Amino acid sequence: MEASITLKKVGKIIGDKTILAGLSFGIERGSLVAIVGLNDSGKSVLLKLLSGYENPNYGQVFIQGLDMEKRRSDTRQLLGYVSYENDLDPWLTLEQNIRFNANLYSVGSETYKERINKYSSALNLKPYLDQYAFRVSGGIQKKAMLIRALIHDPDILILDEPTGYMDAESIRLTWDLLKDLKGDKSIIYVSNSLNEIEQAHDRILVFHEGRIIMDGHLDKLLESTLDYHQFQIEFDDLNDDLYKSLKNIATIVSPNRMDNTFHFYGRTRTVFFDVIKVASDKIMIDLDVRKLGLRDLLDSEFAGRGLE
Amino acid sequence: MIPALIHRRIWLWKNRLLPSAFLFFMLPVFIFSMISLPLKNIIRFSLAGTPYDIWVFPGMIFIISSLSMFPIIYREFFELRIHGKVLINTALTPHSKRSIIFSYLVVAGLEAFVMIIFSTIVYASFIPITFNVPSIIFLIFCLAIYNLVLGNLYISLSLIIDTLTTMLLGTFMLFLLVLFGNGFLIEFSFFPLGLESFLEWSPLAIPFQIYQKFHSTGLIDYVSIAIIIGLIYLWILLNSQILKQKLRQ
Repeated sequence: MEASITLKKVGKIIGDKTILAGLSFGIERGSLVAIVGLNDSGKSVLLKLLSGYENPNYGQVFIQGLDMEKRRSDTRQLLGYVSYENDLDPWLTLEQNIRFNANLYSVGSETYKERINKYSSALNLKPYLDQYAFRVSGGIQKKAMLIRALIHDPDILILDEPTGYMDAESIRLTWDLLKDLKGDKSIIYVSNSLNEIEQAHDRILVFHEGRIIMDGHLDKLLESTLDYHQFQIEFDDLNDDLYKSLKNIATIVSPNRMDNTFHFYGRTRTVFFDVIKVASDKIMIDLDVRKLGLRDLLDSEFAGRGLE
Repeated sequence: MIPALIHRRIWLWKNRLLPSAFLFFMLPVFIFSMISLPLKNIIRFSLAGTPYDIWVFPGMIFIISSLSMFPIIYREFFELRIHGKVLINTALTPHSKRSIIFSYLVVAGLEAFVMIIFSTIVYASFIPITFNVPSIIFLIFCLAIYNLVLGNLYISLSLIIDTLTTMLLGTFMLFLLVLFGNGFLIEFSFFPLGLESFLEWSPLAIPFQIYQKFHSTGLIDYVSIAIIIGLIYLWILLNSQILKQKLRQ
């Protein structure tokens, strides 16, 4: 498949800290790619480099085969970027903010009307278009920023926390729109909402200390953890002695407690019976067993060691 | 890019019509009452013998232009920049940094020009202004050059400084220079000799001197005009580099 974005040995150094270290990878046209990782792992910096917001210290970024450094004006026409922070002009209405961008990209009046109508209906933003940016909530502003990024019909959308500050309905509408756009546009996004990433279920890049340590679809990423299960048992009274004895069971992984709830991982479901043996005379209130997800993969307690 | 910025300025005016219109009306009246009226009682005639209020009129126009340009540039390049709004998004569009700087300068200059037309109408009711068409056309030309120099200085200041207190102090010093150090209100001959030569060669003072020379002798100083236009071009390039650095692009 044709590449939409290609990075060749791209590096970014801020101060004396290496944020990105010689990254090379490609993103296919029309794909939906999530970038996940711990805080300060370099995800947002990567998005800034892809959007042209910042320049790399070394290496090259190609947008649909065009060198971003040499063909700046052409490549910017192809990109739409939504930053994490709200960056709308507070004293303009949402519609004026979007229209300003349309004017900067010389979008014709009819085309502009058609697009704003389409996207504001999809995101249920119409009732807010005449409101000043500073008077509406962060989630509404974020939706306006998304429409602003789409108004010149870019081929590539780069989104930093696309559903940040949004309520449940807005999150659903935003994902419906993004899934509609997928195929027609390449969408690269950073999100800490792992449930949303799991549901979008496309390519995931796992970032760690400026490097991509895992790359693939969710199932592939979870392959290494498929044997594991996550257990949660709520006791009537999880005292220190009980916790200590449970913690010492050899077959359990990464045990921890919260109030009266004992949480641990285990390679097979039979681990549960080892726990039952130790706590057979204690009152259990609730029990939960489930397969591992992306959250567990990224969790520093459990998977941090695994990733290393 | 210029039409997009003009639209944006019109929307901002429309959205804050009452406070903007109030300031629009008050600025020339305030400057006239606080500066021109009291100075008229101290300096009755210019060194060439012209009544002070007639002599000071072009200087007042330059001052109003200076003050009108400031809020636009301050807002775009300092206030919105330090709050991470608008400017970064504008810089991600296909326009070059040079084009962004130049477009903002032109739009700020145009807005100042509208203010000047209004102020001239207001002043015409206070002082007996004699309108001489070639002189007015040349005044507009010199004012345009002056606006580009001063606008560049405002942009450099707004981009280099990152804290509000430093910006306020820097602006206060710059306003003192604009008011008293450009020959708008006080002729350079009133300053001590060393300071006089320094101020005369300040790029901010040259456009006004070019105008005064034309007004009094009818001669156009082409060399100074060429130098100042060259300086404006270089300053736009410098500001584009500063903008690039500030946005880490």
